Amino acid sequence: MNDDPEQLDRHVDHLLRNRKPERMPLPDEDALGARQTAAMLRAARPGVGLPSKEFLERMQRLIKEWVGQESLPSLAAARPSRRALLLTGAAGIAAGVAAAVGIDRLRQPRAPGARMALVESGSWQSITALAELPESTPVAFRSGGIEGFLIRRGSQVSALSAVCTHMGCILNYSKLRDRFECPCHGATFRTDGQPSNQHETRLPALPALQVRIERGQVEVYTAF
Amino acid sequence: MRLHQAAGAGDQEYLTWAYQTHVTPIYQYVYSRVGNRPDAEDLTSQVFMKATSGMRTDVSVPQLRSWLYRVAQTTLTDHWREYYAEHTGALDEEVTRAPAARENAGAVQRVDSLLATLPDNYRRVLELRFLRGYSVRETARELNLSETNVKVLQFRALNRAGRERASTS
Repeated sequence: MNDDPEQLDRHVDHLLRNRKPERMPLPDEDALGARQTAAMLRAARPGVGLPSKEFLERMQRLIKEWVGQESLPSLAAARPSRRALLLTGAAGIAAGVAAAVGIDRLRQPRAPGARMALVESGSWQSITALAELPESTPVAFRSGGIEGFLIRRGSQVSALSAVCTHMGCILNYSKLRDRFECPCHGATFRTDGQPSNQHETRLPALPALQVRIERGQVEVYTAF
Repeated sequence: MRLHQAAGAGDQEYLTWAYQTHVTPIYQYVYSRVGNRPDAEDLTSQVFMKATSGMRTDVSVPQLRSWLYRVAQTTLTDHWREYYAEHTGALDEEVTRAPAARENAGAVQRVDSLLATLPDNYRRVLELRFLRGYSVRETARELNLSETNVKVLQFRALNRAGRERASTS
């Protein structure tokens, strides 16, 4: 497929009307360079490229929430407002985004400070009987504000967060392709938690959750 | 360990403020890379969501700023990669470049010096379309060309300017 003047003009036209250009694979670096140059020229027009008042207000509010959530993981788990980020209203995002923040914290060295008491109130939650777990097939669970997957290999069970590390949507497991898939932007992860598709190589791996087996029951440590 | 982890209420307010003051510069930076409002808004919020959840402890405002620009660069790279596929050689180069603190101040001069490298007719078509916001039809009338010729001229001018940009950056 070659780039051509009509196609490039459609892209330019979208920029000039402040609309999202169509997505399409580009044939070469010249085509990419032409579009990046178009973006640069578009932004150079006086008065263009400043955020709207509405956007600024929304960002001020979101940042306040996000910074607040970082300090208050337990409260944040009950108030999964990170979903508000998806301005396009994508489906599939679910509660538990902030819970991942809680998990993360549990695995970090404890710092002094009153807020840490919230994390220390975490507890082991029984999820299912070991005998119920199929061999090597991840099983989704939700407990104590945590969305995750349990995977049994022989007598070993591991648990992974089911929250996509891209923008916080909840992952699905595809048995056909044996991987986790994000319904929002298409990120995929292997069952060991490592990101697996090329354009997402920069994504962090899915955090592992603490898991133990007590009297035949699989338990996961949650933020509650 | 995160900055906010051990933070008291006062620190949290300070941190919120520090992020909030960077929204406009980061938005402008992103806008100058994507050239349209919906993408700029979407990507700017992604940058702040990622940055607020991955921040290190003990950061000064300059460190926070350079962290934000770095997150913005990787977010932009992913954006181009996701939607326009394969050809990311030029992007990788862009990402490894140190973030410029006064990114937006130089933008107009950079455009001027880029335009100055182009032949007259190329420069003219880009000025009319982008800096004056002329439609293809208006540009055609102004330059006494057909609309098809305007599109061809614009195509050649953008490709040429893109190569100039790559060779000088």
